[in-house]
Amino acid sequence: MNSKSNQGKKTSSLSGTHNISGMKKRSHKKFRMFSIRAGLDLPFLIIVLVLVATGLVMLFSASYANAYYLYGDSYYFIKSQLPMAIFGIAGMIFVSYFDYHHLHKFALLSVALSFVLLVLVLFMPAVNDVHRWVQLGSFSFQASEITKFAVVLFFAHSISVNFKKMGTFKYGILPYMCLLIPTIILLLLEPHISCVVIVVTLAVIMLFIGGVKLRWFALALIVLLVAAYILYAAGKFGYANTRIMGWLDPFNKDIWQETWQTRNSLYAIGSGGLLGLGLGNSRQKYLYLPEPQNDFIFAVVCEELGFIGAVIILLLFALLVWRGITISIRSKDKFGSLLGIGLTVQVGLQAVLNVGVVTNILPNTGISLPFFSHGGTSLIILLLEMGVVLSISRTSRIEKAFAT
Amino acid sequence: MSKGTTVRMWRRTAIMLGIILVIGFGTLIIGLFKLQIIDGNSLYQMAAEQQLNDTKIEAKRGTIYDCNMKPLAISATVWDVVLEPAYITTEEEKALISNALAEILSMDSQEIRDKIEKNSKSYYCIIKKKIEVQQRDAILEFESNNNITQGIRLIESNKRYYPYGSFASRLIGFTGNDAQGLSGLENYYNDSLSGIEGRMVTARNAIGTDMPFEYEQMVPATDGYSLVLTIDEVIQHFLEKSLEEGIAANDVRNGATAIMMDVNTGAILGMAVKDKYDFDLNNPYEIADPDIKAEIEALPEEQQGEQTTNALMKQWRNKAVSDTYYPGSVFKMVTASMCLQESLYNEDSMFVCGGSIRVGSHDIGCHYRAGHGSENFVRALCNSCNPAFATMGLTLGNDKFYQYYSAFGFSERTGIDLPGEAEDIFFSKDGTMSETDLAVASFGQNFSITPIQMLTAAAAIANGGNLVTPHVVEKVVDNAGNIISTASTHSKRQVISKDVSDRMCAILQQNAIDGSGANGYIEGYRIAGKTGTSEKIADYNETGVMTYIASYCGFAPADNPQVAMLVYYDNPQGGNYYGAMVAAPTFKSAMQEILPYLGVEKQYTDEELEEVDIKTPNVMGKDLQTAISDIINNGLNYVVNGSGSTVVAQIPKTTQSIPRGGKVILYTDQASYDAAAKVAVPNFVNMTMAQVNELGMSSNLNISISGSSLSGDVVSVKQSIPEGTQVEPGTVVTVTFAARDSVL
Repeated sequence: MNSKSNQGKKTSSLSGTHNISGMKKRSHKKFRMFSIRAGLDLPFLIIVLVLVATGLVMLFSASYANAYYLYGDSYYFIKSQLPMAIFGIAGMIFVSYFDYHHLHKFALLSVALSFVLLVLVLFMPAVNDVHRWVQLGSFSFQASEITKFAVVLFFAHSISVNFKKMGTFKYGILPYMCLLIPTIILLLLEPHISCVVIVVTLAVIMLFIGGVKLRWFALALIVLLVAAYILYAAGKFGYANTRIMGWLDPFNKDIWQETWQTRNSLYAIGSGGLLGLGLGNSRQKYLYLPEPQNDFIFAVVCEELGFIGAVIILLLFALLVWRGITISIRSKDKFGSLLGIGLTVQVGLQAVLNVGVVTNILPNTGISLPFFSHGGTSLIILLLEMGVVLSISRTSRIEKAFAT
Repeated sequence: MSKGTTVRMWRRTAIMLGIILVIGFGTLIIGLFKLQIIDGNSLYQMAAEQQLNDTKIEAKRGTIYDCNMKPLAISATVWDVVLEPAYITTEEEKALISNALAEILSMDSQEIRDKIEKNSKSYYCIIKKKIEVQQRDAILEFESNNNITQGIRLIESNKRYYPYGSFASRLIGFTGNDAQGLSGLENYYNDSLSGIEGRMVTARNAIGTDMPFEYEQMVPATDGYSLVLTIDEVIQHFLEKSLEEGIAANDVRNGATAIMMDVNTGAILGMAVKDKYDFDLNNPYEIADPDIKAEIEALPEEQQGEQTTNALMKQWRNKAVSDTYYPGSVFKMVTASMCLQESLYNEDSMFVCGGSIRVGSHDIGCHYRAGHGSENFVRALCNSCNPAFATMGLTLGNDKFYQYYSAFGFSERTGIDLPGEAEDIFFSKDGTMSETDLAVASFGQNFSITPIQMLTAAAAIANGGNLVTPHVVEKVVDNAGNIISTASTHSKRQVISKDVSDRMCAILQQNAIDGSGANGYIEGYRIAGKTGTSEKIADYNETGVMTYIASYCGFAPADNPQVAMLVYYDNPQGGNYYGAMVAAPTFKSAMQEILPYLGVEKQYTDEELEEVDIKTPNVMGKDLQTAISDIINNGLNYVVNGSGSTVVAQIPKTTQSIPRGGKVILYTDQASYDAAAKVAVPNFVNMTMAQVNELGMSSNLNISISGSSLSGDVVSVKQSIPEGTQVEPGTVVTVTFAARDSVL
């Protein structure tokens, strides 16, 4: 096991403290500690930085009207986001020096933390009728941010450890179901359907790559369809029903108020046309689009930067996914591959789902756009996760332009 | 435990990456393309709709003036009351506002309250439209008293007023709620009158306040242009008054019209369209006829709507341009003109009427069953002899007849600037017809034209042969008085020669003097005219009851025609239906008032002049009653001074000439004769006949007119008693007239 051998080397090298060779040994030790065998992947770093920078600009542009009307301060949102972004980037660089193999140890711990938070959050005061936010003093974050990371980490850890036995039910399915099912139940209690979708999709992808037999996926699909049918037949969709109606026909006058957000998102996107109204010139952000700094920030992007700008940003996300996966799959071990793929795909998935919702390709469900949406904690966690991918890139067998 | 990745991992990762990139991002890009490129415009429109606060600024509708700048239709500022329920949040406010508005606007407070509740998120909820200034002031006062700064908006708008109510209603027309012209001139000139609506476009945010740093664009309203009509309110009034009398006297069931036109320019001086009851332009949706209204109200509810619509359409209809009718004998003036123009006949051509004429297999009867016997062309027209005109028509032939029919403008719309002008209904589209049809058409039966077409053709006969385009609007002016456009006389074509025109004028004048048109004759005014009585065959075929249209079309003065006029009664049921009996008196009474107003001088023919002056009868010494009846029998008026029963003195003295209608002053005792104040003779020289007569009347003197030439443009040149002489009241002053050119 990788982490154990690293651990062993670290402990043994701590004993030597000679001058020149000691220097060499210390740097070697440090080398091992943070696993800098080679530089990090610059393209990935640049993509992340470009996304963060673009995200900040767009966040300011999208949020200032709302900030002005609601808080009397146009800089309200950007003021809180900018330091977090800087802090997050620093953290990302820092984490990239950290040997990701240490994360093996945190797999179970993070799962435990995730469960604690998911239970705790249910006792937290509801915001907009849902229990998603953990409030710690003045700073708050969504419990699901931890959950997503925990799921990726645990799956990467467990799959890489039991890789040979992934074909069996006991090792290939059971542990993951033990983690997934309670997680899904807790998330549904919040409720946080979008997170369920992300967690399940991530799980499926990682198990798929991890080598679980395809028949299990077929079975899962059947179970899913049957469950969906039962729910549908029982008329359990309830409030989701108007969502579905609104999704299929956002301009239906009967549910005019209910589709307000989607309609105004579409107005914004459509208004952008090919070239957009120009940076800062969104009109829909003037209180038409609810919370343009959050889940629907991409609508403002489309309105201001047009089809061209929106596609460029989507391509940046696609590049990020492609590069992240390329880095990960070339990682020298399965843990690195699975962890990197999980974290990268999580970002890509969230971006796709977010834009899908904003463009009404998918039904409306609360999901933020990575690097763009307002939320400092979320941004920091995201950047730290990107730091892990960068850390993996340091040992990955990919050509590197520069060594940092 | 193998450390690195396996081939299967690679493969599965590649599949997954492909799915994410292609299905995930690919779908998104296609979705964005559809939204931004394909649907972009429509979504942009929808977005703009909610983002832009597009406040209309109503343009002020132009005024409609008569030719003397008397306003016939004006716009005044009114206000729409609009609530912004989104600002009315507390219960106290809701109650306060709904109660106050209910009281000011005489509405139900609960109704207002419901509107506030129902549109609680709205910023635009109309409560009442077009309130007057008093109500607006009351609302403003309520707002300031209660410190209400938002929630109620008063939006300026305009309301149309028609100061004369039902006057010229079918001509002027009216506007709908949104100030669009619905009928008459209001409709035809809607584009000119309505102006260009202004807009105040402000970007606004979702809470309805204007954005602090977005654009604001103001396009001011351009006020509508005003119309100056050719219609003279005074003439219109005379026409309407005469029609009203005619409708009442003849129990006219289906409305009537009287149109007067300047024959040379085509300017319509008056266009009266009347019915027993006339609708008020200020309230056009009210059925004016109480009988019809009661009838409709008695109907079951589901039929009321349609019947109401029909009744309204009928009461708004401008018969002068929208109705078609058989012109009847009036058309004979057109047939006669054709014949003279083609030199087929002249005034002395002879016709023989035996009471009917056989054309093909049909006997066409004359209205005078005994037959007019032998008659010349002029008498044929004066007799309104159908067989003579059938003969003329047959001589003309189908082609010539239709050629002139078209040339006189019957086969096309006149192009008058009024909506709803009807087209003629001829026997066939290309003008071909049977011999019988031709014979009948020659005296105006079995084809239909509009009253305005007939009048226009008559004007062409009168004015020297020019077919002009009738028009109602003299000029279009903007609100600063600048002329935007002026109606110029549009002469379509020369239909007949000046010579034929002059001859027709003479013939028609003859007809007015002693022919069928004599009831339209006014002594002193050289009237030319023709009567018409048309059968409403279409109605007869439907109902089996024959009804008629009585009409009279003529012009004056015959020697130099200025105005033409058509009077038309649809379905008179007062016993008479002949044009001569029903329409001619109206023509006469209207002309009698209008011609002096237009300044057309009376000119007597020599025969008339002989009858004008009468020798004063000798009533000296006669019993007062006998004296009075003698005077009246001589066509004179009288004034009695004194208290005796026998006439002791009379002025003028016997054997002195006194004009017909002059005043004989009778004294019944010497004392009053002695006491009678003398009057000073005023200056009568260099005046028109009308002025002299008027002055004579006012100074209590009798005027005897003399002069070698009394017809034409004459002016007084001499008076028998010098100016300033003190004479007894009633003294006859002889004033000599001469043609103006000989004076100058």
